[in-house]
Amino acid sequence: MERVLGEFITAARVAGVRISISETLDAARAMEMVGYGDRALLKDALSISLAKTAPEKEILGDCFDRFFSFDFFDGVPGRDCGAGEDSPPLAVDSPLVRLLMEEDRAGLTAAMTEAARLENLSQIRYFTQRSLFALRLLNRMGAGDLDNQLQALRAVDTPAAAAAAARLEAAKSYLTDTVRRYVQNRYDLFAGNEGERRLDSELRLVKLSNIEQRYFARIHNLIQRMVKRLNDLHSRRRKRSRRGILDFKRTLRENISCQGLLFSPSWKKKKIDRPQFVVICDISRSVLRTVRFLLLFLYGLNQEIAKIRTFVFCTNLVEVSGILDNCPVDEALTRIQGGTDIPLIMGRTDYERSFGDFRRNYLNVVTRKTTVLILGDARNNYNDPCPEHLKAIYDRARRLIWLNPEVPAFWGAGDSEIRKYSPYCTLVRECNTLDHIDRLIGALIRT
Amino acid sequence: MKKKYEKRMASIAVLEEGFRRVAYIPNRQIATTVYLAHHLEKPILVEGPAGVGKTELAKAAADYLQLPLIRLQCYEGLDESKALYEWKYGKQLLYTQLLKDKLDDIISRKNGFSSAMEKLHQYDDIFFSWPFLEPRPLLKALQEKDGAVLLIDEVDKSDDEFEAFLLEILSDFQVSVPEIGTVQAVTKPLVFLTSNNTRELSEALKRRCLHLFIPFPEAALEREIVCRRVPGISERLTRQIVKFIQDVRELELKKVPSISETIDWARVLMILHAEVLDPVLVRETLNSFIKFEDDVGIVTEKLHQLTAVAIRQ
Repeated sequence: MERVLGEFITAARVAGVRISISETLDAARAMEMVGYGDRALLKDALSISLAKTAPEKEILGDCFDRFFSFDFFDGVPGRDCGAGEDSPPLAVDSPLVRLLMEEDRAGLTAAMTEAARLENLSQIRYFTQRSLFALRLLNRMGAGDLDNQLQALRAVDTPAAAAAAARLEAAKSYLTDTVRRYVQNRYDLFAGNEGERRLDSELRLVKLSNIEQRYFARIHNLIQRMVKRLNDLHSRRRKRSRRGILDFKRTLRENISCQGLLFSPSWKKKKIDRPQFVVICDISRSVLRTVRFLLLFLYGLNQEIAKIRTFVFCTNLVEVSGILDNCPVDEALTRIQGGTDIPLIMGRTDYERSFGDFRRNYLNVVTRKTTVLILGDARNNYNDPCPEHLKAIYDRARRLIWLNPEVPAFWGAGDSEIRKYSPYCTLVRECNTLDHIDRLIGALIRT
Repeated sequence: MKKKYEKRMASIAVLEEGFRRVAYIPNRQIATTVYLAHHLEKPILVEGPAGVGKTELAKAAADYLQLPLIRLQCYEGLDESKALYEWKYGKQLLYTQLLKDKLDDIISRKNGFSSAMEKLHQYDDIFFSWPFLEPRPLLKALQEKDGAVLLIDEVDKSDDEFEAFLLEILSDFQVSVPEIGTVQAVTKPLVFLTSNNTRELSEALKRRCLHLFIPFPEAALEREIVCRRVPGISERLTRQIVKFIQDVRELELKKVPSISETIDWARVLMILHAEVLDPVLVRETLNSFIKFEDDVGIVTEKLHQLTAVAIRQ
């Protein structure tokens, strides 16, 4: 029975329940305890030991119902085939034929599950394998004998034989149908989410500018997961370093008044700087999508982990931190683009003017602790790039990182001025997939 | 290892019956979980909305098994010295003062500094031994000879560090006290952890526990609970109360009333000698099970309709 449990756990994992080995062992022991006699009890025991959240319990329950469903052979045909009463002299020599003729549902189900076990049906991965497995299962159950018998009956030319043949034919098509359904059921169980999961891992690597609108919800989901990981990782570290270890020297000093008895210990404290980000984004159409995902990421971070101020530019530059702080990124971006309540000109991209704006109005935002992130393709429409403005920012900032959504091969080609700007950047990075963003931000808040 | 209360855990049915006797009405899942937890020697992580009887379950288990209930209430900043053990610093200091003369004797009889030191070394562990140890809930639970019910309440309120620290206890039922060594459980306690999901617990912790989710009870179960908890209440009133509460749970409230609130309300109505519900009575006693101003507004709006449905019961 270990094997049944193993297969059930595989199915549950496919359905999205996370099950570890120790939980598997627990489940095995629990099953020993409660036995297989009581279906509801078994379900409870499995749900207690395997699923660890309420939604997981629901998935597991559903999975249990589908996995342990044995009512494949419900409406057995044959009765309505006309040759009911005068049962023809069938030389029943194959067990499968006997099972079918006797309408032994339990026997048929047992034969089918046994065949599935022998053929390793739980290994099914792709929908193209379904017919193959159905065929193999049928062969294993003895469909060959069934065919032989059918042929033998057809060779005899009597009404009784013809009726028997018709009945057997109906039974055969019914059997084939049922096995197909069974294989489909197992395929759903063991491989159902495979495609979806693969999609998730591919979406991380696909170019953000190429992602179709219909995948956006999925991407948001992915981003949330990634951000949650980052948050978990870093909030924990922050707490530990806040507490610190025993500061022995200070303890001695402070306890001198108690004749050197160590009454009140004091602890070493480390002050943790929240990383400060200044994000300057080009929101012309060519870059907008990457901006959107970067902002989703940054604003997903815990307020305690990072302090962020955001500026966007196209022809000129404006600060939008207020809008982004107050409403979700998606809504904020449409408001920014609509540009009704902010003085943003959506004309040709002008890096000189935008950086100039920043230098004139907001340079004091940048301090020694600030990391400046610039996201843009540096395509300045053949205007003067004027890197002096960038240099002024670079000189004040802790570091200045330029994220370019174009692939490196295009850098410097045409009106791209990235080569002129790069001397004043701590780092220039290609940034056009979720993986890039994830890795970058992970590195940024780590230091 | 045979436990004293083995008999009370003989089967799920026995367990369910026993819980009923101590006025806790479990559904079958709860009984199954406790039964399995005992036999697999695993802690139980109980989750569910506030007030469905998570803490009550541990109390009932202690009551039924006639074991001491040791409770550890978690909060942010809870650490080992509050949860596990602490040295009795005061006692240690006092003893050093009292034994000062003794110490002088020991030292002065020896001439050399190094020999005095050596002599002292033979005594140093005295002050870090069991008599100077103040056991806190977790250690206490491990030391109970006949076992205990250990309730770690609202574990989600504690820090991540504390959660990690719990892992050793939950998987091996042992703790390490550096000065003394590893302390093994005499009899493994039955452990309940409760969580309100204010934050996600770590995978490691969940993996070590059986997971029980207690939802709001069905009407029949809730009626039974009310009957048990509020002795002397008429069946008709119980029906009406439960129907009303179940309907209120369908509304979109900030905080839906849970079982504990149903019981409170039933008690209030008992004190007022109410026989049946009526709108005026409900309005006057609404604050015993609705705890937010906004929610009161929402319920009051539909009060007549809800009461009318409930009265028909």
